[in-house]
Amino acid sequence: MPLFDISGLHYRYAGAQADALADLDLEVNEGEFVAVVGANGSGKSTLARLLGGLEKPTAARRALACGHDLLVEDGRMAARRDVGVLFQNPENQLVAQCVEDDVAFGLENLAWPAADIGHRVDEMLARFGLEELRRREPHMLSGGQKQRTALAGVIAVPRRVLVLDEPTAMLDPAARDEVLIAVREMRGEGLAIVYVTQEMDETVGADRVVALERGTEAYAGAASGLFADTALVRRLGLGLPAAGELALALAEQGRDLPGLPLTMDELLDALGGAT
Amino acid sequence: MSSLEVLAGAASDKSRAPGSAGMRLVCGGASFSYEEARAPIPALCDVTFELRPGGSLALMGASGSGKSTLLQVIRGLDAPESGAVLLDGAGPADVGYADLQREVGLVFQAPELQLFASTARDDVAFGPRRLGWPEAQVTSVVDAALDVVGLPSARFAERHPYALSGGEQRRLALAGVLAMRPRLLLLDEPFVSLDPGTRRQLVGILERLKAAGVTLLLATHDVDLAWALCDELLVLGEGRVVVAGPWDFSTAGGHLLAANRLREPFLVELWRRLGRDPQRAPRSAAEAAEALS
Repeated sequence: MPLFDISGLHYRYAGAQADALADLDLEVNEGEFVAVVGANGSGKSTLARLLGGLEKPTAARRALACGHDLLVEDGRMAARRDVGVLFQNPENQLVAQCVEDDVAFGLENLAWPAADIGHRVDEMLARFGLEELRRREPHMLSGGQKQRTALAGVIAVPRRVLVLDEPTAMLDPAARDEVLIAVREMRGEGLAIVYVTQEMDETVGADRVVALERGTEAYAGAASGLFADTALVRRLGLGLPAAGELALALAEQGRDLPGLPLTMDELLDALGGAT
Repeated sequence: MSSLEVLAGAASDKSRAPGSAGMRLVCGGASFSYEEARAPIPALCDVTFELRPGGSLALMGASGSGKSTLLQVIRGLDAPESGAVLLDGAGPADVGYADLQREVGLVFQAPELQLFASTARDDVAFGPRRLGWPEAQVTSVVDAALDVVGLPSARFAERHPYALSGGEQRRLALAGVLAMRPRLLLLDEPFVSLDPGTRRQLVGILERLKAAGVTLLLATHDVDLAWALCDELLVLGEGRVVVAGPWDFSTAGGHLLAANRLREPFLVELWRRLGRDPQRAPRSAAEAAEALS
């Protein structure tokens, strides 16, 4: 059974003239890593909130998250337990008096034994380099530290699926790599991950990329297929990974590379073999 | 007159001295700590650097290294405990310092912190109206600012700021700052949450503001955009300056970047791996393509 089984999903904000999401289909299976991209205002964060059971769909033919019906209140409440959602803005996610209490918050709500909570919190603080900040009040953290604290709190709770809304946006390059490694590990453990991002190079390893355009699906498939359609990429307000942008610039200068490189290594190979 | 010319009018503003488009910034030994119940948290320690008028400086460093605090101290939102911030050579005790502070624009890391009016238009107009500009001038500057950041008035002026997406809010916050025609522009992670198309537009806007002589201080984790836009680099580590000056991609420079959780820009790494001089790496894909064709 898919972890997300969504068909014909609509969502319209109160008082809005148009749907923020319109007739959207999405299926995500165990262990899948699905990247969601799109211009500002295309509906990515709205989709993340709906998948987490935090908003009621305006309409849908089918809207199941971990088997729970998102169209009914009980289903949404159940989905909130099974789907971990990291918000785009960590300010909206930090609730406790200090970092370690925040990371423990979800586990306390699930009534874990105190000793187990302690072990799990220690593990998360170590994973995200937050040990020295464990007693720090959230409002005294930098943007990147807040984002790591929020992510640690979401990941602390064992789940089957995570919805991460731009989890690396405020991180320094090293922390970004650490989060990407953590995401890869969780995927290896069988977790499904829906990953909203504006960083095109982060989509390269995804099983599937879904590109939104004004709330509708403009593309769903392999990252390489999206990036190969340059006109679509530009229309959607997206870009290519740095290697791909350079390949395009070279093509404009009359030097066509074999294939479309999307990573540094692919680019170096293509430059070496280019005629 | 284009929207950008309206905003970059600083250079041609008759009320300003000739050649005063960009502001000179000197930060001399600035230190700052945050008060907390248990003990103060030191955030900046003896930070010293200089940014020439019209210069562009990338402010980098790990999360929590003091970048946002430094921008707030420069903007005068927090007073340094010791040391001073000099704007065009003037310090806080000098006559006219408050006026100079008004010519420093800061776009916060969290844009919603600087949005408060009930429409996008009123939000951008807030600063110019407070300065008592005639309403016709306010309207023209607001329209230009919204246009420059890609939120054209016809579609966005009457929207509620909180009904905008995260990336649109960030652009609106920038519009509010540009409307004040700053001579020193401080940007705190301006590219976060912007889609790649909007990032390209913002890079274009910042390049044109630079060309108009505006001094630019850009706090960012994005080394590629920092390399594309900024002539020099300032890296903070735990509140102290660990790198200040031109970009340095020697072995020692690379170690310093890595030690501060940074990496080389993509084009610099490419140049190194192609056996070329990384110090002469191109700043953009177009420049790189020209060199490789």
